[in-house]
Amino acid sequence: MKKNLGSKAFVLLALLYLYVPIFVLMVMGFNESRYNSLPFSFTLKWYQELAQDDVLLTATRNSLLIALVTGLACMVLGTLFILGHQALKNKGKQLARSFVMMPMSIPWLILGLSLLLMIRAVDLEKNLFFVLAGHIVISLPYTLLVLEARVQSLDQTLEDMSSSLGATAWTTFRRVTFPALAPAIVAGGFLSFMISFDNFPISYFLMPAGISTLPIEIQSSIKFGFTPEINAISTVIIGISLLCLAVVGLIMGKTFLGMIGGNKKNV
Amino acid sequence: MEHKKRRLLTLPAVGWLLVFTVLPLLIMLFYSVQADDGSGFTFANYLRFFSKGMYLKLTGRTIVWAVLVTVFSLLIAYPLAYILAKKLKGARGIILVLIIIPFFTNQLVRIYSWLIFLQDGGVLNRLLGALGLSSGDTLGILYTQAAVIIGLVHAYFPYMVITIYMALERMDDAMLEASASLGATKMTTFRRVVFPASMPGVVSGILIVFVPCLGTFVEPRILGGTDGMVIGTVIEDQFTELYGWNFGAAIAFLLLAMVLLSMMAISKWGRRYDV
Repeated sequence: MKKNLGSKAFVLLALLYLYVPIFVLMVMGFNESRYNSLPFSFTLKWYQELAQDDVLLTATRNSLLIALVTGLACMVLGTLFILGHQALKNKGKQLARSFVMMPMSIPWLILGLSLLLMIRAVDLEKNLFFVLAGHIVISLPYTLLVLEARVQSLDQTLEDMSSSLGATAWTTFRRVTFPALAPAIVAGGFLSFMISFDNFPISYFLMPAGISTLPIEIQSSIKFGFTPEINAISTVIIGISLLCLAVVGLIMGKTFLGMIGGNKKNV
Repeated sequence: MEHKKRRLLTLPAVGWLLVFTVLPLLIMLFYSVQADDGSGFTFANYLRFFSKGMYLKLTGRTIVWAVLVTVFSLLIAYPLAYILAKKLKGARGIILVLIIIPFFTNQLVRIYSWLIFLQDGGVLNRLLGALGLSSGDTLGILYTQAAVIIGLVHAYFPYMVITIYMALERMDDAMLEASASLGATKMTTFRRVVFPASMPGVVSGILIVFVPCLGTFVEPRILGGTDGMVIGTVIEDQFTELYGWNFGAAIAFLLLAMVLLSMMAISKWGRRYDV
């Protein structure tokens, strides 16, 4: 019993470290002071100001749109890749996998700047297409990790059975493979959505002048004097993220928990 | 049957990465060996980096910070993963979810939250004052190296918990019992059984923390203030403030080399523990 007390205390401390700053940020969104200073006095005025802050709301909408397109693109590219990847063998299979995972080991700073240089090299203006291109590059490996985990637990004989029973490749895909992969496709798309929505470095270097995303707005307000409106919008976003997480958790059910928790049965 | 055709499905993803990752990097490499005045091929950008003490000093600092963040992350993540995998089994589902949730909070939101928490006259300052642990109105943590490390560990240690936990979870508890019944002390069991089994998780955890820390620039810039210069911020300045694109591209390539070399070194060291 005594041992477990120490363990519990350690877990509690780690969770405090993880959550206290975020919690303080949320509470300060309801505090009168413009400079997040104490003593605390309750107000909703930062939420009211947020509701009228077109710059911040437009930036949030831009972030959501970019994340949505990135998520969808990663779902399509990722699903196609994983289906083709199954047909590869040995060396080729290994090589293709390390190639698509490559962006994970390159700092985002470098990926963003190299895309910026590419835009300059072909003499283009910064545009949203390149922002999306960069977001897809950094998110795709994560989508693939999720899909891969699912494919590995999939029973290959099911597909073989389906085709030996006379189903065409398309029918097999539609009736067997796709339903089995669907939860992972959704989870993978969700993960890319979150990575894109969260991304600062790529957008920072590639966004055309005059258009911004939420992370860019937060960064510039940190730089040029912040207001608790940032706390308010952060609180809203954290709330929505948790909601999405819960929804995906429900769709994926045990698979999702198993994936993040490394459940033996699913590995 | 249609295996040959099916392989073609990998092409869109591979092509996308060829055009938007490999090609841009090649273009960057080209920029890095161009002279600023347009006179063509030169190694001057690389030489400039190695000839200035400041850049080498900042490289050293970047590596030291990345090592510190990795060490502190290990000190938090390893015990936590061990507790989750072997002690508090009943509550681990909920604790794991709690550790994962902050992944889904925005990087800048997290940095901003530390800014508020650590600022002079802020919550931590007041709290320590009320407990009699500090005196005065200033805390003096924000805009120092400590603030950067605190922020980076906060951002990265949860990944390490997951990788180590997964390695420990795969280990059969019967091995612990076997070791104990053969007369090993708890310490020996840990050293000879648990620790080796956890190594693959430790190695991927180190990779997942150390590598991005080498290339970080947002946390040092915001939480470190003027003390927050690292290689990442030097590169950023070259592109956003100084228009030294060729020099910036050269430093970016040196950083990339540093990242790849350390990845190779870490995985090579880790392979010893792959059973």
